[in-house]
Amino acid sequence: MTKVRFSLNGEVAEVEVEPRELLLDTLRDRLAMTGAHAGCEQGSCGACTVLVDGCGVRSCLMFTVQVGGSEVRTIEGVGSPGSLHPIQQALSTHHGLQCGFCTPGMVLTALELFETDPHPSRDRIEEWMSGNLCRCTGYVNIVKALEAVAGTAEEQL
Amino acid sequence: MSVTAPPQAPAETGAALRRKEDTRLLCGQGEFLGDVYRPDLKHIAILRSPVAHARIRHIDGSGALTLPGVIGVFTGGELAAETGEFSHHLPMIPTLRQITWSVLATDKVRFVGEPVAAVVADSRYIAEDALELIEVDYEELPAVSDAEAGLDPEAPLLYEDWGDNVFLFMPGSHGDIEAAFAGADGVLQERFTHHRISGLPMEGHGALGEFDPATGRLEMYVSTQVPHTLRTVISDISGLSEAKIRVVAPDMGGGFGNKAHFMREEVLVAVLAMRVRHPVVWQQDRTENLLSGLHSRQQVHEVEVAYRDDGKILGLRANFVVDVGSPELYILGCAPAIVTTSVVPNCYDLQDYAFELRCVATNKGPMGGYRGYGQPQGIFLMERVLDLVGERLGIDPVTIRRANMIPDEPRPYVTATGSVLDTGSFGDQLTELLEAVDYDAACGARDEARTAGRLVGVGIAQMVEPTAPNIHGLAGRFGGYEMAMLTVQPDGRVNVAVGTKSQGQGHETIYAKVAAETLGISPDDVEVSDGDTAALPYGIGTWGSRSAVMGGGAVIKAAQQVRDKMAAIAAGMLEAPAEQIEASDGFFRLGEAAIPFAQIAAVAYLHTFLLPPGMDPGLSVVVGYDPGNTSPFPDERGKMNVAATYSTAAAAAVVEVEAATGVVTVQDLTIVHDCGTVIDGVLLDGQIHGAVAQAVGQTFFEEIHYDENGQPLTSTLLDYMIPTFGDAVRARIIHRETPSGLIGGFRGAGEGAIIVTPAALAAAVHDALVPLGVSITQSNLSPPRLRALLRGHSTA
Amino acid sequence: MKPPRFDYVAAGSVGEATEALASAEDSRVLAGGQSLVPLMNLRLARPSLLVDVNHLGALSGFESHNGTLRFGAMCRHRFLETDPDVRQKAPIFAEVAELIGHVGIRNRGTLGGSLAHADPVAELPALLVALEGRVIVASTGSERAIPAAELFAGPFTTGLEPDELLTTVEVPAHRDGDGGAFSEFVRRHGDFATAGVAVILHRDGFGACEQVRVAGCGLGPTPMDLSAAGDFLRGESSLTDGAAEELGRRVAAAADPPGDVHGSKDYRRELAAVLAADAVRRAWARAGSAGGA
Repeated sequence: MTKVRFSLNGEVAEVEVEPRELLLDTLRDRLAMTGAHAGCEQGSCGACTVLVDGCGVRSCLMFTVQVGGSEVRTIEGVGSPGSLHPIQQALSTHHGLQCGFCTPGMVLTALELFETDPHPSRDRIEEWMSGNLCRCTGYVNIVKALEAVAGTAEEQL
Repeated sequence: MSVTAPPQAPAETGAALRRKEDTRLLCGQGEFLGDVYRPDLKHIAILRSPVAHARIRHIDGSGALTLPGVIGVFTGGELAAETGEFSHHLPMIPTLRQITWSVLATDKVRFVGEPVAAVVADSRYIAEDALELIEVDYEELPAVSDAEAGLDPEAPLLYEDWGDNVFLFMPGSHGDIEAAFAGADGVLQERFTHHRISGLPMEGHGALGEFDPATGRLEMYVSTQVPHTLRTVISDISGLSEAKIRVVAPDMGGGFGNKAHFMREEVLVAVLAMRVRHPVVWQQDRTENLLSGLHSRQQVHEVEVAYRDDGKILGLRANFVVDVGSPELYILGCAPAIVTTSVVPNCYDLQDYAFELRCVATNKGPMGGYRGYGQPQGIFLMERVLDLVGERLGIDPVTIRRANMIPDEPRPYVTATGSVLDTGSFGDQLTELLEAVDYDAACGARDEARTAGRLVGVGIAQMVEPTAPNIHGLAGRFGGYEMAMLTVQPDGRVNVAVGTKSQGQGHETIYAKVAAETLGISPDDVEVSDGDTAALPYGIGTWGSRSAVMGGGAVIKAAQQVRDKMAAIAAGMLEAPAEQIEASDGFFRLGEAAIPFAQIAAVAYLHTFLLPPGMDPGLSVVVGYDPGNTSPFPDERGKMNVAATYSTAAAAAVVEVEAATGVVTVQDLTIVHDCGTVIDGVLLDGQIHGAVAQAVGQTFFEEIHYDENGQPLTSTLLDYMIPTFGDAVRARIIHRETPSGLIGGFRGAGEGAIIVTPAALAAAVHDALVPLGVSITQSNLSPPRLRALLRGHSTA
Repeated sequence: MKPPRFDYVAAGSVGEATEALASAEDSRVLAGGQSLVPLMNLRLARPSLLVDVNHLGALSGFESHNGTLRFGAMCRHRFLETDPDVRQKAPIFAEVAELIGHVGIRNRGTLGGSLAHADPVAELPALLVALEGRVIVASTGSERAIPAAELFAGPFTTGLEPDELLTTVEVPAHRDGDGGAFSEFVRRHGDFATAGVAVILHRDGFGACEQVRVAGCGLGPTPMDLSAAGDFLRGESSLTDGAAEELGRRVAAAADPPGDVHGSKDYRRELAAVLAADAVRRAWARAGSAGGA
């Protein structure tokens, strides 16, 4: 077992884990951060996306022992029921979520997008978000929501 | 006791969020199955067959048991000795093979991924380590990997005692098919193929079980669309009374019909919870999901169509061969194919129709329900037939549809298979579609593009969809009703419990809205609970585009009963007849006088001396709602009205095909959709956008592949591709609202777009390829598949 | 779907890493982990020891030195995609990096990791072959260079020894008259390419083609060197549509693609023809313009 200390949503987290424990499982099972979801555990769906040192990563493809000293941000550190982040608010307003299983990963991936480029075009949004799969919405309203955040919404049909 | 009502309704609070569900889901605070926490939770991993077809000679789990952290290792034979068996509960269908099966395989395995043994351990990691230590001695057998090959008399047999591999044989004959062909000017013979896909909810199946030996109670959390009926099945197999079992379906990461079956693993969890006396959880991982949970759509249709030279279709014979994979699934995997046979006449006046259905057991993962449930294939058949006959006769797609369409009168119209259609005008719907897309202009633009050497096509398709169907004929029980509980609490807030289960459709929002409208209060004051068997006696679940129709109807019925009681209380207090009391904006009103809703609630519980003489205290009802117009079984002529009401849609697609790569670009997709009274247009459009994406996925991206030995080739999301951002098609959606005659005027909404869109896309691709003489008769238009069709055609 | 047990060492230096690699049977380098970890989760890879090189500063960075571009093996795809220096001096790397996976993958995945993984459908190995680059690998106490032509031995198989660590990637620096392009076919944005073709060519001061390098991904068991298909272009001073298509035909004929669920052999050959024609057109134009790619 290895002791790992890292920052989780601005607070110190310390866990003792086997090297093989995936960051996703540590967050969910040891630290009660269940907003990141296991959609594929193969790095294909993006539902487990968290930010490590500001970069979106698949937490199913990182071992917890790798994040010692890093800053980890999960959906629980983005907005709260009383004060949603604008991305979260827009997703609700534009009905960009249905079952909500993929939504935390969407929000975190979009967060990194807007920190990189505050006014992305539709093409840029679609390219950037393409690693996050959703089976419910058909993506149409997610894009609409993110375009609204970007302030670049094209005239909709 | 009365106060004067404010002139305006109080401002709606909380309107900033679209849905009641959104806050928790956006903040990562939803409770999906994997989020359900229990101290001392143990994890189940399932050993699955690596071979497609084999006899199990021996299983040795002793090595796994020695691994630290392993609590138990369980095999099929051992569990089967102590538990009941699954069956299809359809002894009344003599041409269905009557089989039983257990939670784990016992004597044979019949597909790669079939559960063979289970480990319970401290963590999923250790449980998976332990799986590697279980030794299974398989005697491998030749596999059947294709339904038509499975019909060969020399084919290996999945069940030796059957003598062949036909799981279900079902013939049907309606009208006078011989006369129809005798009177025909021509006959079209065609073969249509549909490929194997998976519903692929982002959250796989899963279940958590906790058994309390002191009370004998079992609590199950299951990612299921059908919690109440699952409780019945768990009771069947575990031997526990339903009174001792509570099933809760927590937040669900999609279901799409895949979770409307009773998975053997779900019952396995119940059985293991009772055995190991720890709470246990099984979460299906993505590979398990792609191997076993579940597949859909794969069918072959051989059709003969008798037509007249004026385009009128006189009769249709169809031979359906369906690859159901392993038949060990309840509700049976043939069910969608049975639906396919029933919807073929579609919205056309075709009374002479005969078919034979053969559902073939193969060594592949079980076939099950997926959004559309057999209808996309049936609609595809009829829509392709019309275009192909039209092409032969030089009649355009619109004209040939109009020539065959069910006329506007009379309603109801009874189809060849017995569906009692209560729809609006098909002709008007088509006209609205053609105007919306400016059809003539679209065809003109296509012709210009064609002249310039581009492969552009325009296609249309229509559908009528049985919604809120009766499942009794396919499950041997359960029926077509729904239940709801509605309680007004002493503070005037309302609890609603329903037997349907939202998988993302926004039922909390929708049911709150319809309850609030009926009660004359704000939706903010209504709390909705779905998917908890403890909250409601029974429910039939969410599938078959039934929740708005049946669940909504039940909620409104319950709300009406409570409202009427409250009105009677108000009437007593206002000394007026109850019929004169109106409920609106949070008050019960009589002219200028008004009593707040909450005040009546307080009377019913806290100041009961104010109740009218003889009235019982409390404001709570449980209602069952069954419109009573569906059939549990076919009649002696093989006809049945399967659904409580019918939705309709028409779609037009414009596509361009890139010949060199086989890539199809959807330039426009327009859907005219009639699901009766619309409850929430934005959520409804969300359903349609999602269904369109799935239709695009099944047409251009998705396919479950097996090799000739029954080995699956698509067991990760790198190989099974669902659409992502950029693949989305922004459909234009137009609603017609023809109310049904049922409570609320609703018709089903969730599936129409996935039923009609594949046919429209196929028609458009076919049209695009007219210059090359390539005909589209298959559902799979992925680039490599389409390119294979184009190969060898001159200009391609 | 959980990985089997392994030991873990976070290497503090290249020496520590190579020593650790040599210390165990079935040791593996953990770089970005975007290919290795999925295989471990599926239990298709079961290293006994993972040597994490993510903290080795010596393996990062990009420099241009004496006509050679040198990349640290731990350059992440996202760095290749966004670093201004890379975009200016090695634009083809930025162009190819953008094609790899999704941003969450590119944030972690590395150049060295991709080359060492040697997936026959991956882009960067094909680019290295087209550019006639080489890799520097270190083992305990020694170092050697492996030219791209010798690096890729088969699907997921390289010439690296188990105790060797890929530290540096070198390609010739851009000269005036160089032009390159990478064209690939993907079903969805960010997918592995069904097929991809890199064309790197050089035109002399008069515009005549001096050299054509062609390599493909998804077109054989390794990133195949298909340059012979472009020999006919040498000496040409213009690229006709017919010539671009002829290159496509020759590339398709020379390719030895696999058939799988993403496309048959025939389909991949057809794609190769389209992609090679597209890549050569773009490379040709770039070679003729200042800056190139």
